[in-house]
Amino acid sequence: MDKLLSRKVLGILAVLAFALLFVPGLFAPEHLADGASFEPWLGFGSEGAPLGTDRSGHPLHRYAMQGAAVVAGPSLIAGLVVMAFGVMGGLLACAGWPRLEAAVQGFGELIGALPRMVVILVVALLLPKDARSLTPIALTWALLSAPGAMDEAAAVAGRLGGTRFVEALRAHGFSGFRIYLVHVVGMNLRPVLVRQGVDTLVQVVFLEIGLSYLAVQDSEPSFTHGDSTRSWADLLYMGYGYFLEVPSGHALVLGLGLVGIVALFGVLVNRAARAR
Amino acid sequence: MVRLFAALALPLAVPAVITLFIWALPGDPASIICPPEICGGTAELAAKWHLDQGPWHFYSQWVVGALQGDFGNSWRMQTGFPVADLLADSVPRTAALVALAFVPLLLGAIGSATRIIPKQVDGVLSAVGLIPAVVLSLLAAAWVTLTYGAMAYDPEAMRVKLLLGALVLGLADAALSGAVVGVRGITESERTQRYVQMAILRGEGELSNALPNILPALAGQMRARLLGLLSGAVIVEVIIRIDGLGDLIWQGTLTQDFAVVLAAAFGFALLSSLMLVLQAAVEVGVALHVRKSPQVMA
Repeated sequence: MDKLLSRKVLGILAVLAFALLFVPGLFAPEHLADGASFEPWLGFGSEGAPLGTDRSGHPLHRYAMQGAAVVAGPSLIAGLVVMAFGVMGGLLACAGWPRLEAAVQGFGELIGALPRMVVILVVALLLPKDARSLTPIALTWALLSAPGAMDEAAAVAGRLGGTRFVEALRAHGFSGFRIYLVHVVGMNLRPVLVRQGVDTLVQVVFLEIGLSYLAVQDSEPSFTHGDSTRSWADLLYMGYGYFLEVPSGHALVLGLGLVGIVALFGVLVNRAARAR
Repeated sequence: MVRLFAALALPLAVPAVITLFIWALPGDPASIICPPEICGGTAELAAKWHLDQGPWHFYSQWVVGALQGDFGNSWRMQTGFPVADLLADSVPRTAALVALAFVPLLLGAIGSATRIIPKQVDGVLSAVGLIPAVVLSLLAAAWVTLTYGAMAYDPEAMRVKLLLGALVLGLADAALSGAVVGVRGITESERTQRYVQMAILRGEGELSNALPNILPALAGQMRARLLGLLSGAVIVEVIIRIDGLGDLIWQGTLTQDFAVVLAAAFGFALLSSLMLVLQAAVEVGVALHVRKSPQVMA
């Protein structure tokens, strides 16, 4: 696929997938009941509810929009945080500070040794009920992902030559800005950083869906958003009813479709970062 | 050394951090469990559960108890029920689930190292690995419900759920594809080394020469995969309804039962420590093996 599609084409497809997923979140209604209600369990293509309706006649596109609003900001922040840690890891490998590197490695070993979901649940446990949001959970996930990103960026910088690479560029009279930010980060670490960032973004979206699904299955409020907001997990849970002869196949298709587009977005960005 | 230190520190650090967080919450812990305006005897409860003399007292008492297998009683989930009994019920199920899920990963890793699994399969495995655990679990739960209905908690259905859960864990979130592709990357890059080429010319096996050098990296990768399986076990157990450690920590989180969450997190930390020790043992073994090999004069 890399050979057939250029970075530009892959980039445009990734932007389209991103827009399709997250831009509707900007226009999400505050409450599900905002706006007109329709007949229950309408299917795709119904007038006023193009993606169908739920058991109460609320259009499913409002679920999709609210779900986008829940995940868009926190997942983007988490991706950027991981990229920032990756930049730090790469630069540390080039800076030649072995003690700091060893300290960071030891810390990463300890952080990386914990099952992430357990840490996430402990954080969720400590969130006050009136301040439930995906952001602290996404930031925790980003911190847990950071050691891996730093390691990988450091390995790439190491293969580049590490401190010797920096010295060689200094000998050419390049400034620190040009060496570190343009050559090390921009030209060499970019694919790794983009991949780590996007992987984290996708993982945070799936984490939100997972946590919300567990909550909705147990009829409990979600840890990731307020009670008036719905997640994409609600679509999947509603769609699960289809297997139990509830007419909610359209919700299952929509939920799985959104999950598929998220995964596709991750693949497209990774390919675009590697393509020429 | 760092790994062994981390293995020792982890089971102590996890309850310590949770304890600190409990005290960092607004209001004292006893009032969180048993608000004085709702239930009486908050002070007695605080004394009974060692919550009345600060975080260090609580932590030290908890660690001393935990080392003797006493994790106290559940605060909210099943009030008064010994947490050790809940752990004893759930740990074997999670261990079985993760062990079963690890089998395809191990076979995949061996298959890719020995080139039995061709590189062309990587694309298919990666595509399957894109599916998140929540989606595959949902499908597995639907199948169990349709097949067993009200009998979904019978021993036979439980065994099927365990197998399905292991399959989901092994396939979802790039577990199998990560193991296959990751091991292939390490072994193929080592195969290009000069000493491996020389070994082939001498009529020796590729892998037998390369293995001592790549084993630490493989052990690290396998530990990361196992850790991923442990993490994913929470979602799989809750959705497919397997009463394991993941389900326990989820229920504890929902009910804000700190005693259960502390003990379950401690259980996860212990399992993780065990993996760190195993990885360290592999690294020490390889180092000893290399030391025994004949020295090459420069």
